[in-house]
Amino acid sequence: MPILRFLIQRLLQAVLVTIAVTLFVAFAIRLTGDPAIMMTAQSSSVTEADLDRIREALGLNQSFIKQYFDFVRNILSGDLGESFFRGSVRDLIALALPSTLLLAVASMVVSIALSIPLGIYAAVHKGGAADQIIRVLSLVGLSFPNFWLGIMLVLMFSITFPILPASGFSSWQSILLPATTIGIILTATNVRLVRTQMLETLSSQYVMVARAKGLSEKTVIYKHALRNAAISIVTFLGLQFGNLIGGLVIIELVFNWPGMGTLSIEAIAQRDYPLLQATVSILAIMIVAVNLAVDLVYGLIDPRIRVA
Amino acid sequence: MSFTSKLSLKKGLTRSLLLATALCAVTPAVSFAETILNVAQRDDPQNLDPIDTFRLSWGSIGSNVFEGLVFRGEDLELAPGLATGWEFLDDETRIRFTLREGVTFHNGEPFNADAVKYTFDRLLGEQGEQGPQRSNYTSIKEVVVVDPFTVDFLMERPDPVLITKLAGYGAMIVPPKYIEEVGEEAFDMKPVGTGPFMVDAYTPTVNVELTKNDAYWNGDAQVDGVNIRFIAEDATRMAELLSGGVDIALNIPTPSVDTVRESDRVDLVAVDGPTVVITRFNTAKGITADPRVRKAITMAIDTNAIIEAILGGLASPISSAQGTKSFGNDATLTPYAYDPEGAKALLKEAGIAPGTEISLDFSGNDDTFREVAQVIAAYLDMVGLKLNVTPHERSVYTNDIIANGKTGEMYHFGWGGWTFDFDNTAYLLYRSGERFNPYIEDSELDALLDKQRATYDTDVRRQALQDVAGYAYDTALDLPLYNLSTLYGVSTSVKGFVPAPDDRARYMSVTVEE
Repeated sequence: MPILRFLIQRLLQAVLVTIAVTLFVAFAIRLTGDPAIMMTAQSSSVTEADLDRIREALGLNQSFIKQYFDFVRNILSGDLGESFFRGSVRDLIALALPSTLLLAVASMVVSIALSIPLGIYAAVHKGGAADQIIRVLSLVGLSFPNFWLGIMLVLMFSITFPILPASGFSSWQSILLPATTIGIILTATNVRLVRTQMLETLSSQYVMVARAKGLSEKTVIYKHALRNAAISIVTFLGLQFGNLIGGLVIIELVFNWPGMGTLSIEAIAQRDYPLLQATVSILAIMIVAVNLAVDLVYGLIDPRIRVA
Repeated sequence: MSFTSKLSLKKGLTRSLLLATALCAVTPAVSFAETILNVAQRDDPQNLDPIDTFRLSWGSIGSNVFEGLVFRGEDLELAPGLATGWEFLDDETRIRFTLREGVTFHNGEPFNADAVKYTFDRLLGEQGEQGPQRSNYTSIKEVVVVDPFTVDFLMERPDPVLITKLAGYGAMIVPPKYIEEVGEEAFDMKPVGTGPFMVDAYTPTVNVELTKNDAYWNGDAQVDGVNIRFIAEDATRMAELLSGGVDIALNIPTPSVDTVRESDRVDLVAVDGPTVVITRFNTAKGITADPRVRKAITMAIDTNAIIEAILGGLASPISSAQGTKSFGNDATLTPYAYDPEGAKALLKEAGIAPGTEISLDFSGNDDTFREVAQVIAAYLDMVGLKLNVTPHERSVYTNDIIANGKTGEMYHFGWGGWTFDFDNTAYLLYRSGERFNPYIEDSELDALLDKQRATYDTDVRRQALQDVAGYAYDTALDLPLYNLSTLYGVSTSVKGFVPAPDDRARYMSVTVEE
């Protein structure tokens, strides 16, 4: 069963990546600052004895190896341990992870819904006015910093025309602005990719054969060309997911979205080791999992890969 | 191993997707006749237990939920709180507090001497050791219950700032039975106090919802609830304020001051705050070891121009590392006048060649100071000193650059003790061996600082603290820049909001018009 071997290989890879990432993060963050000092940074009467007491209470006087293995044990048991300042890490993540996933998926949906029809249209009408406009708009989109676009959308839809909430996550309308912001930014790249891939497949011989058979233009484009172009598009979307998660950190800040990005930034600022290790590990696992999913989706799109 | 991680990942994903759908379905249900005050502040205190935090962001929540034995309101005067009075006994080694009768906690538990004793046993004991507040109250040896409404504080050593410190943060009175019942972790998330508002729900990184305490002993809150949202990004907090999403915004950033001033629906409310910004000198080595050079740098910079141009006038000039509201401020001390010619002469006298390079370190996340630093560089350039400004990440800056004395000739220092007592700042700036004082070792300063800590006599203390300020001024130990105002953005529909200088905003007397 080659597919099973492939899966196991990928899972082992995922575990290795996660171990490497957490080990590196856990080690590096300890070099940059002492949580006991951060905690008391605004106190005027702290003695070295006070700091030692705090370090001991937080378990910072134990060896790095011991601290790291405690963390790994916590992860494996599904209990993510205690944050230094704010209670159970699992509860914090249970709150943040769904909203990050929701935003990531919503932005991907916005981007797919925009880029696939636009990309196809541009490819089919290559060189026409519509194609030119789409290409110029996509270049403009590529040049925007995402936070700037976010702030402009807030200015327009929350302040000038107050129809949408400016920030937070209190109702379904809250997701419209952040998802559109990231969706538009992603579309700028994706529309170019869809266009190029479609141009390539449309000029291939099997499309010519399909046309020669007298199939309708619709069948040619959607059944034959798009399906063949889809493989590279899906690969690219999978790779994009990693960038998307990185970009979300900024967008979450701009829209005050209560997600994993906000949580990790707070953890870094406070040198909250357990919380930071957990958020980074989960983000790493997510990216690895998406890449794995992309590999599996190939089989669905292209039967030739399934057989091989 | 791979099998378990796969399983838990799958389970986690399903659960998160379910949760996401659930979250989507929740729509705000505040459409009744209830009036809710919406507030935005920058930071999430991350923990609502009074002894677990040191953040100002806790103060603007905690001051509505908790009370101490002593009360200090927006006028900064000390007044009876949960104690109706106090007296010093046994040669000032014992402070006796008479407690207010008929007060109950939000859970119905009575407030009495046992609650006071429990509060301080907890703060000074094992639970307190895990948090940052304990170190402020170690002058207390023990709290003894005399009768149900009288307690004695036995003192380990004199602590002249103790009465002030009993009005905030770590000294907030907590309910013994409730904590024993629900446990410490639950108390972090949903604490109970005696104040005018009760914590209804706290969602980390999102908000805290307070509801009116109908059983409050000292009057009634005017709104039914307060929704305090945490919005870290300045531009987003401003967008919520300007779009009417929130009624009051705390921590107005300096660059947004004009936007708030120009808006018809929002007022800018400013009050002198506790935070002073200075740059300190490396007095141990380099050209700034020479007091003449330090004085020359101080004279070369026009702080009034900086206040007007960069801070929109929302700061006051200072002569020492304290504002005018601070206990220990000497009103007769005036800041060094702007005198570039005098500065040049002093530098020449000290043998400093024009074009000499010096550097200024600061914490890079402080955007306002970044601008100020560039202006300082321009002023120093005019007297022939070339200033290099070096930003650092905040934690690295405090833990390493300052603590280990790795700064250049100048380094930024911003500090605000909510006690408004110069002891708070002066001790850690000038006492030998303090962690924010890498360079100064001076027996005269040490003696003055120790003297004012050993007595409750306010006249002796004020004199000693003014002497410290005068000494620092005469030898130009620091370059005092300005005292920042505490800024609030308040919607015109809000009435009765009194700005708190110390960021400990209270919402009891606030009303919102629809």
